[in-house]
Amino acid sequence: MLEIRNLHARVADGKEILKGVDLTVQAGEVHAIMGPNGSGKSTLAGVLAGKPGYEVTAGEVLYEGRNLLELAADERAREGIFLAFQYPVEIPGVNNMYFLRAALNAVRRQRGESELDAGQFLKAVRTKLKLLDIGEDLLQRAVNVGFSGGEKKRNEIFQMAMLEPKLAILDETDSGLDIDALRVVSAGVNKLRDPKRAIVLITHYQRLLDYVVPDRVHVLGEGRILASGDKSLAAELEKRGYAHLGSAA
Amino acid sequence: MTVVKTEAAPYLEAFRQRPAADEPKWLAETRRAALDRFAELGFPTRRDELWRFTNLGPLTKAVFLPAASAATADQSALAPYLLDGARHRIVLVNGRFAPALSAIGDLPKGAWLGSTAEAMKTHPDWVRAAFEESDTLGAQPLASLNGAFFADGFVLALEKGVVLQGPVEIIHLGGAAAPQAFHLRNVVLAGAGSGAAIVETYAGGGASWTNAVARVTAGEGARIAHMKIQAEGGEAIHTALTRGSLAAEARYESFTLTTGARLSRNDSLIALRGDNAYLNLSGAYLLRGEQEATTATFVEHGALGGETREVFKGVMDERSHGVFLGKIAVRPGADKTNAHQLNRNLLLSRRASVDTKPELEILADDVKCSHGATVGDLDETALFYLRSRGIPEPAARRMLIESFAADAIESAVAEPGLRAHLRRHLDTWLEKRGS
Repeated sequence: MLEIRNLHARVADGKEILKGVDLTVQAGEVHAIMGPNGSGKSTLAGVLAGKPGYEVTAGEVLYEGRNLLELAADERAREGIFLAFQYPVEIPGVNNMYFLRAALNAVRRQRGESELDAGQFLKAVRTKLKLLDIGEDLLQRAVNVGFSGGEKKRNEIFQMAMLEPKLAILDETDSGLDIDALRVVSAGVNKLRDPKRAIVLITHYQRLLDYVVPDRVHVLGEGRILASGDKSLAAELEKRGYAHLGSAA
Repeated sequence: MTVVKTEAAPYLEAFRQRPAADEPKWLAETRRAALDRFAELGFPTRRDELWRFTNLGPLTKAVFLPAASAATADQSALAPYLLDGARHRIVLVNGRFAPALSAIGDLPKGAWLGSTAEAMKTHPDWVRAAFEESDTLGAQPLASLNGAFFADGFVLALEKGVVLQGPVEIIHLGGAAAPQAFHLRNVVLAGAGSGAAIVETYAGGGASWTNAVARVTAGEGARIAHMKIQAEGGEAIHTALTRGSLAAEARYESFTLTTGARLSRNDSLIALRGDNAYLNLSGAYLLRGEQEATTATFVEHGALGGETREVFKGVMDERSHGVFLGKIAVRPGADKTNAHQLNRNLLLSRRASVDTKPELEILADDVKCSHGATVGDLDETALFYLRSRGIPEPAARRMLIESFAADAIESAVAEPGLRAHLRRHLDTWLEKRGS
């Protein structure tokens, strides 16, 4: 589903952050990308989602066999890529429900499905809300405005549940969550595991991986994948830290 | 003999040539004095501090003589502007009352609604009250010119305790192939404890100049909501001056939505004269092309415990230019005043611009006052967030612009029907926005 080959990318001011990332993710798999601060984890997520401010200088990214990098951010989303933000953005004045219905209908149009009217949309919303223990009142507010840290993260996974992406990238979704919120979010992610869906978890800590057990674990450092393995690699990192993997720490 | 500005000459000539009107002596004298004042002042220039940012070129390069006679319009021309649930409607075409298009409806006892021309015959004192010394002595040349030439407008007078159910709708349609001026003189006289909601809409096309002067007097405890939508055509010029006076405990809520005219200016001079009066003076201006719009407000707190909420939001696209000049003055003795003013602007193009000048002058004690202005462009982080969920860029931009402008409406207008009406005009503007 996703094939990243020798990806080099830099930020707009010229500092190179990704220095040759290679990664292949198949449908149905859950991959975890771990790494210390500054290793390029969020840059990788941003480049894949089409966030402005990054420049790809070499390499390629294939998504379902197509060149992902030539698609605009909103095209990528409509093609089935979803990024759960590390810091979900507050948008005053834009109602959560209105926003989500516009997004869902844009995605559905792309899939050749009919748009949902207000009634159908509300029905779909109610089913998914239960999944994440989100109150309906939260959706009547402006996007992420006045949400607690945990509510913002749950809202991200709720959006993911609504949009049903093929490839979901979760950027530090576990950061800032207490243990109860982490359980709720993890349960939500686990319910979204699907043979047709790939999930990439970007995280600093192993904690999340106790709840969402990955098929593959990769260590990102110095802008490259330094090591890959199964879930035991995460446990090993927890014990020994990143330091033993070259000069990455 | 005072000096007469050269640009005033055609207006003096037009005044001399106008057909003899059957008007009372006071009015004829006042018109003459107002004309003299205009002749002395001429049009404002950029040397005047309050007109420094406004380019009056489109107004001063041509001569806009007053429309000479009544005109009619098709009922269908009103359709885009009609307010749902309006109980009383006055339509003016080219500056004059159009009875066939109007529906004044049933009014409760003690309420009077009609054209200014009619009120001059039946209730001359009301119209007389709409004149001020400043028309003949002050420094508002456009109001002086209006005083010399106005033919019509609307008058709403409410006796003590009379509250109108349902809004009063005033629509002015202007249209002229050649430069022509429509001078309107409007009056709202609200007695103690009375109440009404007024929605004024200015629309039309052609190279005309609409110059409206209004006087709003709110008696003790009166509650007036006053919406104005200025949606004139792209060649039109629109200027308006509203003078308001609030007695004790009076509430005046004013909201102005500007989307029309190539050149427009709204001046509001509101005085809180009685204790504990409340003023909400807000609005939004949405501009594109080469439009220029100025909002100039002067709020004077002259009594105890008054409150002012003032929020104006501007969206400037393409090469348009917005101007905000806001002053709140708290006079000695107006203690415990609570006055807040905010002007926020969104620039959607590199060639769009805005000048903003918020100002506070406080000469009283124990007051809570604040003012501020911001100028920015669309929040790129928010834009990316919306796009990352699949919303196409034009729709995402629209969503952010809409939320910015709608916030001004939502925070100032409580009545759902009026809110919806203003939102509809906002949508119309957004629909036209090229992506």
